[in-house]
Amino acid sequence: MTAAAVATGALLVLIAATTVLGGVLIFGRFIRRAREARRTRLAAPARRLLLAVTAGDDDPVLADSLVELDAENWRAVEPTAVGLLGKLRGEAHAALVEILVRRGVADRAVRDLRHRRPVRRAAAAEVLGHVGRRETAPAIAALLTDADSDVRAVAARALGRIGDPVSAVPLLRSLSGRRSVPPQPVAQALMRLGSAAQPALETALYQADELVRATAIEVLGLVGAISATGLVEYTLRADPSVEVRVRAAGALGRLGTRSALAPLLSAVEPVRPAALRAAATRALGDIGSVAATSALAVLLGDPQHAVAHNAAYALLRLGRAGRTVLNEALGAAEQTRRQTGEQTGEQTGDSRAEAARVRAAGYAREALAVAELQEHRRAPAVPVLRPAANAVGTAADGAAVSPTNGAAAAAGEQTSDIAGPDTARHDTAGPDTVGHDTVGHDTVGHDTAGHDTARHDAAGHDTARHDTAGSAVGG
Amino acid sequence: MDTTSIVIADDDPDIRDLVAFKLEQAGYDVTAVDNGVSALEAIQRRPPDIAVLDVMMPGMSGIDVCRELRGEPATATLPIILLTARAQEGDIETGFGAGADDYVVKPFSPRELVSRVQAVLARTRA
Repeated sequence: MTAAAVATGALLVLIAATTVLGGVLIFGRFIRRAREARRTRLAAPARRLLLAVTAGDDDPVLADSLVELDAENWRAVEPTAVGLLGKLRGEAHAALVEILVRRGVADRAVRDLRHRRPVRRAAAAEVLGHVGRRETAPAIAALLTDADSDVRAVAARALGRIGDPVSAVPLLRSLSGRRSVPPQPVAQALMRLGSAAQPALETALYQADELVRATAIEVLGLVGAISATGLVEYTLRADPSVEVRVRAAGALGRLGTRSALAPLLSAVEPVRPAALRAAATRALGDIGSVAATSALAVLLGDPQHAVAHNAAYALLRLGRAGRTVLNEALGAAEQTRRQTGEQTGEQTGDSRAEAARVRAAGYAREALAVAELQEHRRAPAVPVLRPAANAVGTAADGAAVSPTNGAAAAAGEQTSDIAGPDTARHDTAGPDTVGHDTVGHDTVGHDTAGHDTARHDAAGHDTARHDTAGSAVGG
Repeated sequence: MDTTSIVIADDDPDIRDLVAFKLEQAGYDVTAVDNGVSALEAIQRRPPDIAVLDVMMPGMSGIDVCRELRGEPATATLPIILLTARAQEGDIETGFGAGADDYVVKPFSPRELVSRVQAVLARTRA
């Protein structure tokens, strides 16, 4: 047999194999489409029924008809019912839950929590989280140490939705260990538990694990646990971890009590770590006390960028008193420049003080410029109806210079969102923070690119488009 | 009496059908589409009394549609409600900055959405 004959034979075999494979693929696709079409056809009447019940039609006959659907028709419509669970609230949500419970979906989900496939376990936790029965919380909490990381995150979110305060302890515990849950879903779940979780959060501040303490103190600030202010102040002063103290400063800013002023002013002293000083400076602005004006005026010329930068924005937040300081900083720098010009070649006073004045003027100029842009952007956005040209101009401005991702971000702002997108933005310490982030910015959720990164965090949040359970809210 | 017409745009078929069902039930004449470009075309072809737009849609977002509509004299004053899962302050600010009249966050209540539609219509017709 010649080499040519062998080559021809091999080519023919290859062509035959390709043809068969192509045929199988086409046939498979045809079968899938046919099944899909059949499912859609079957689901159509039941779907109409489901929409009627969900839309608030109080006719009990409709709900009964849905519950009594035969297995095949229910299978066709069940994905829609489960999918809508996370997208609706109020009466529509309650109606859906009732149908799913009566149909046995909730009971099946309880059994599926132990399913061998992670996707089924996650889907079960997701459904039970939306159904919200407290008696299922312990079984879901067991998934916080699941072998699959997505299942663990879904379980944390489900516990938050159920809202049983008993879940606070396992949630905090889930932050540690080999099979841990990322802090973002844990913090969001803890926030949903509300004030009932406060005792567990306070106890967590004495835990050895730094991430547990950092998350607990952040959540205390986010839920507005005013009665824990003393403990948060103590943590700011005494915690061995800089990261936890940074979180404590942020929490004090959110809590906004007058008593926080003294510990925050102490935290901005030059001997403190840079990240802590930056966070405390920002918190002074959050508190909004004009008593911090003189301290912030000094910090405006600080050699550490994050401190000076945050001081400028904190002054802006103080209102007229802060703006006066910013304008004075600009004026002082101008005066220094003129004096330097008049006394060419001579040193005018203390060169360090002069450098501080120039720095302060730079940060003041930036903050005032950003504030002006924001005001320009916000001003026309209020009226309901307005001329087209005005509206377009506003939108364009908004896209070009956003307070969250525009000039401020360019200047090096950072965000620190343990709790993720549901919480208010909280810039901490600027670029210097990253170097001092002992907890690890990946796990804690530091976000160097602004809020968009946090919003699409794969660890999952309630608005993520795709998660393991496949039933998160989109759009 | 003419029926009040509404254009709904949402790429999620469940939400789109539910909102359409609820609004039809409330007596509105509903046109439902699954993307921003189709919404823009439907609105420009026959301007409705109000539009309900999902923000995150493939191709052209609800925000983009809103801006386009505000730029056209024929639709500059069309009442627009944004329906979205994006609930951060910045997102809401962006929505209103683009010219939206109201902003409904998912998870949402269909009954509340109908009330918002009625309120926006009443406000803009006043």
